[in-house]
Amino acid sequence: MNETRSVRIEPGGDGFVARFTAMASPCEVLVDGADRTELRRLGELAAAEVWRIEQHWSRYLPGNIVDRINRAQGAAITVDAETARFLDYAQQLHELSEGLFDVTSGVLRRAWRFDGSDRVPTPSQIEALLPLVGWQKLHWQSPQLQMPAGMEIDFGGIGKEYAVDRACALLAAQTSHAVLVNCGGDLAASGPRAQGQDWRVGIDSGLGASSSLIRLRQGGVATSGDAHRFLLKDGQRYPHILNPRTGWPVPGGPRSVTVAGSSCTEAGVLSTLAMLQGEQAEHFLQQFSGDFQVIW
Amino acid sequence: MQLNEQQRLRLAAATLSLLGVAGVKPAAAQEPAAPEKPWTFDTGLLLYKEGNGRVQAIEPVLNASFNLGGERLLSAGLVFDSLSGASPNGAAPAHTAQTFSSPSGGGQTYTTAAGKTPLDDTFHDQRVAANLGYQFPLSHDSKLGLGLRGSSEYDFTSFGANAHYSLDLNQKNTTLGAGVSFEYDQVRPVGGAPQPLSHMGAGGGGGDDEEGGSSKNKNLVDLLLGVTQVLDSKSLLQLNYSLGLSSGYQTDPYKVVSVVDANANPLYYLYESRPDKRTKHALYAEYKRFAFDRDVLDFSYRFFTDSWGINAHTLSLSYRWNFSEAFHLQPSLRFYRQNAADFYHFALFSGEDAGLRYASGDPRLGAFTGLTGGLQFGQQLRNGDSWNVRLEYYKQRGQSSDIPAQAAAAYSGLPTAPDMSAVILSMGYRFNW
Repeated sequence: MNETRSVRIEPGGDGFVARFTAMASPCEVLVDGADRTELRRLGELAAAEVWRIEQHWSRYLPGNIVDRINRAQGAAITVDAETARFLDYAQQLHELSEGLFDVTSGVLRRAWRFDGSDRVPTPSQIEALLPLVGWQKLHWQSPQLQMPAGMEIDFGGIGKEYAVDRACALLAAQTSHAVLVNCGGDLAASGPRAQGQDWRVGIDSGLGASSSLIRLRQGGVATSGDAHRFLLKDGQRYPHILNPRTGWPVPGGPRSVTVAGSSCTEAGVLSTLAMLQGEQAEHFLQQFSGDFQVIW
Repeated sequence: MQLNEQQRLRLAAATLSLLGVAGVKPAAAQEPAAPEKPWTFDTGLLLYKEGNGRVQAIEPVLNASFNLGGERLLSAGLVFDSLSGASPNGAAPAHTAQTFSSPSGGGQTYTTAAGKTPLDDTFHDQRVAANLGYQFPLSHDSKLGLGLRGSSEYDFTSFGANAHYSLDLNQKNTTLGAGVSFEYDQVRPVGGAPQPLSHMGAGGGGGDDEEGGSSKNKNLVDLLLGVTQVLDSKSLLQLNYSLGLSSGYQTDPYKVVSVVDANANPLYYLYESRPDKRTKHALYAEYKRFAFDRDVLDFSYRFFTDSWGINAHTLSLSYRWNFSEAFHLQPSLRFYRQNAADFYHFALFSGEDAGLRYASGDPRLGAFTGLTGGLQFGQQLRNGDSWNVRLEYYKQRGQSSDIPAQAAAAYSGLPTAPDMSAVILSMGYRFNW
């Protein structure tokens, strides 16, 4: 959280781009046809919203709602309206994904450190943590959440995508120009650019030369998988997305999945679920009519 | 997993209801404020009753804390104590009735029947205690807590201040703690503080001479060092060391020690005398373990030793059985054992009192073993409130010690190690507001 809180206006694209850093990612705001003054105003608005959500749900910030939930030691915590909506969403995702999407899976990070090394945890380490994973062990009745002591929730899996969508919607309500918000490759666009042109955004998959160009008119794009966050042992690559039901990554999957959806949040859910399909990732994504790109 | 069309629609609908909330407002308009219900109140009532009509106490407690947000917590507490009943005055039982002067003076006396442990039944006291605290983060992983406290009863006033620092390390798996506290106590014995080891007159109280006086005080400094380590996802270990230094008047102005002959007949009584310095060390270890993803097992051991020669061991065991989502039952067991202080005397043999500097017959400084069994029942309510009720039974078994050899035979028929028992009932209700 040592990011500098500043919004810079820099040349980029066909004109200017507002840049800031949030959620450990470089973020940018593009407003089609806006002058520098308006871009600055909108860029600062977007940054404030993303920073607000970052603070609100960061698991590193003592005293915020996530920290209070994680330290409640089994006591019921009354959450604010926004967190309540998010927990409702987390509950639906858990059902829908048959447990593959689980906001309580963060405790597995105690065993998994994806630092590019070969330090794969032992099955007994994972076995010891699994009792602390599982949304079904929580008692959620909006606005009250009761979680067994020792468990943790973490909105990191989808919080950034949500923040991108929020910032984009916020700006769309403030300007008649088309807007695009991009935080580290997770992006949302409020509509097509002037004359119906697509937004074209370079997505750095972290795999060197294979940076790809994404075209987007409206909605969101999200990428899961990260070339720099994995473990490699005995030739087996362990990506950093874990299956909460087993505590292990799904082997044989792609390095990175980029999916387009009607919102960045939805795209984020789909790309995460795709990563958890392993070898079936592509097949999974073919089931519905969205653009996607899978890098093996 | 297959994501069919219906699931895809559900995902779209769920996402829409998350994001499509009407009226997107700028950040400033919904800055997260302090928690919705910043107050937490802990209310409680404790009833304590010793067997055989001895001490009983009623103690209502109110604690309130206010969450200022950002992990800053302001707290205040109030305790009211009302005690009455009889407590041992330190004198030894005798084969004849014994008469003692009442500490309230004015020539009043009370008499203990032959063969009974002398109890001062004029004991009645009310106490009010208050505390104030503030806890705040110093950095992302460290906290400081500061506190003030005071208490008052008719012959005793106490003020204290404390500070406690804690530091989280190793991704909060290790917590180091250090604390310091200071206390100043002033006792104003009824009828003046008696001169230590002076004779208790059958009719008069203590004297206001040079050694005595109307008010006495003492200072206490306590230091605490601790470490809490998460051992694995299910257990943690806590280790503490504490050092206590006290100096000043630590004698109980109402307690005496009997001086007896070979037949255990009391010749006279001396007001007790304790050293004015005391150094205490305590080591504490606690192991907590989650069991069956539901319950909590808690085991602790404390070793205590001080410069007065007391060594004590405390073993505690409790098991919190969360038998349903809302209810728990918690049985507990505690064992305590101490040996007698160096200057403890059940009684002094005639002549033994000459040249003594310190002597006390207070059974709390004698050797004894205590066993406490308890059962707590509690409920967590849907609205976040919780309540519990706990019943405990305490049984204390004295060990005869420091009986003058010359009178040992004469004491054989008398209660030299009386048992004591107590029932403790406590109730608590906690709510947010």
